[in-house]
Amino acid sequence: MIDIDVLRDELVANEFPEGEFTIADHEHYLCADAVLSPPLPEGVAHPMYVYYTAIAGMGITLDELFAAAHSSADAGVMFGEAGFDQRKPMRVGETYTVRGGFTDAVRKESARLGIMDLVTFELEVVDRDGDVAGVSRNTFVFPRGSA
Amino acid sequence: MSIEVGTEIPPFAVGEVSTEKMKTMALLLRDPNPIHWNVESVVAAGLGDRVINQGPTNKAFIVNAIIGWLGDPARLRSITVRFRGNVYGGESVEAGGVVTAIRDEDGERLADCDVWLRTGDGRDVIVGTATVVA
Repeated sequence: MIDIDVLRDELVANEFPEGEFTIADHEHYLCADAVLSPPLPEGVAHPMYVYYTAIAGMGITLDELFAAAHSSADAGVMFGEAGFDQRKPMRVGETYTVRGGFTDAVRKESARLGIMDLVTFELEVVDRDGDVAGVSRNTFVFPRGSA
Repeated sequence: MSIEVGTEIPPFAVGEVSTEKMKTMALLLRDPNPIHWNVESVVAAGLGDRVINQGPTNKAFIVNAIIGWLGDPARLRSITVRFRGNVYGGESVEAGGVVTAIRDEDGERLADCDVWLRTGDGRDVIVGTATVVA
């Protein structure tokens, strides 16, 4: 098992490559329908699009993110915590740049799950005017087995 | 509408979490995890005998409650939640919250809230906090 201080240093050393994501009208319609959204103002995306845009537009895949944390999608990775700030309403049809990277990694141990690493990454969602429309912070839990 | 400490966010109720909408979200999010659409995978993982809703969709139900309360999605400034349990296909859930503090910041009146998503059998599967423009 990799030392947690080594892992943290590895992760926070480099930002993700920049990526981008466009909120397509039909995808937004289907997403709003699937999450049972109340009616939204014309052209305004559901606020969850801060998260959806960040994840879909970040410059690495989830598989690459898991690999960077010395894990994989079939290792029982769990969502620990998820937060976002919404600074400007997200707009349907808009293309956003996504930038950011890992910010922390901490190791914990529980009787039920054994050793686990909590890895946090933060992504800014930037509109075409260069304004940060939202910030998404997520923590994944990587099970590492018993001590 | 007056927003004060103790003001409750009107609940957003889902009578039956749809397994079909899980499939839509799996496609939209390019989420390859089969626990959202294949019961056998859920059983094999020892997680139950029904497909499991996506965590962000569960969080969206809380955001829906806030939108329904305030009428304007732009008034949601931040929301952070912890995922404490799974929501299974066919379950009922209810999102809710309560205002815990009122404060002024940069000329705006903000309300801090505790928020949650509770299953029909009383499990708090999501807990967290949100800040809105009061």
